[in-house]
Amino acid sequence: MSELTVESRDVGDVVLLYPNGFINAHSVRLFEAALQRAISLKRFKIVVNCAGLTYIASAGLGAMMGAIEEIRSNGGDLRLASPNETVQNIFEILGFNHLYRMFSSEADAIASFGSAQGAA
Amino acid sequence: MAPARGRARTKPALVLCLPSETAYLGLVRELTKRMAEVAGFAEPVAERLALAVDEATTNVIEHAYKGASDREIELRFEDRGPDFRVEIVDTGQMVDPRAVPRVDLDRFVSERRTGGLGVHLMEKIMDSVTFRRSARRNVCALVKHKDGKDAKDSKDAKDGEASSSR
Repeated sequence: MSELTVESRDVGDVVLLYPNGFINAHSVRLFEAALQRAISLKRFKIVVNCAGLTYIASAGLGAMMGAIEEIRSNGGDLRLASPNETVQNIFEILGFNHLYRMFSSEADAIASFGSAQGAA
Repeated sequence: MAPARGRARTKPALVLCLPSETAYLGLVRELTKRMAEVAGFAEPVAERLALAVDEATTNVIEHAYKGASDREIELRFEDRGPDFRVEIVDTGQMVDPRAVPRVDLDRFVSERRTGGLGVHLMEKIMDSVTFRRSARRNVCALVKHKDGKDAKDSKDAKDGEASSSR
């Protein structure tokens, strides 16, 4: 059983990542690799669509923290779309909802790059 | 195993030994969630408790055992009536939780720091988080009161233990 898959697709200059499953200290490498792949391609506008993400542990949050400075220093941002209650709750527990903009839909997250730049 | 005495409402503990491999973290999460639900917690709370135990187990693998996958971790689940208690036990290097820097989100961004989030999550989720060294074993005890997720009191911090209670 695969704990996590991460697919991606491009919409204009926005990269969409689709983690499906859960991110913990075991599966985080896949998520980290997807983030780094986007960065290496100089795609700094990233939306993580969390619709298929059931759970995220601190390892996953750490992966985002490890990438965010480079993303933002290059004029981009990492934004989240469609988190379930569990994932949203974990972000709120740590105060990460103040660091990352969250949207209820993928379309809104993509559109936000057209109207705003940088962190929340 | 002899039944516990003097604690009328304490059910026999469930004890699980598992290898120190991150591949087992999914199992740890599922089992913790199930045990928390059996103890009476609603699913959202059970999910958070599972996260806390996941984080504690991850800490053992990464810090006490320094990534070695050939060691053993013991998880002990106890329904103590008013409390749900999980102990995570290892025989690795003692890690002083007081040495873990407090989480400062601004510094996390500016310094690209990613450590310390696990302990911070554990403290936010549980009513009591204690660490003790006993008979060359490290014991991390996580306690959640059943009388409300925001219960502040904790009777679990003892002298000589590094603890954090809400």
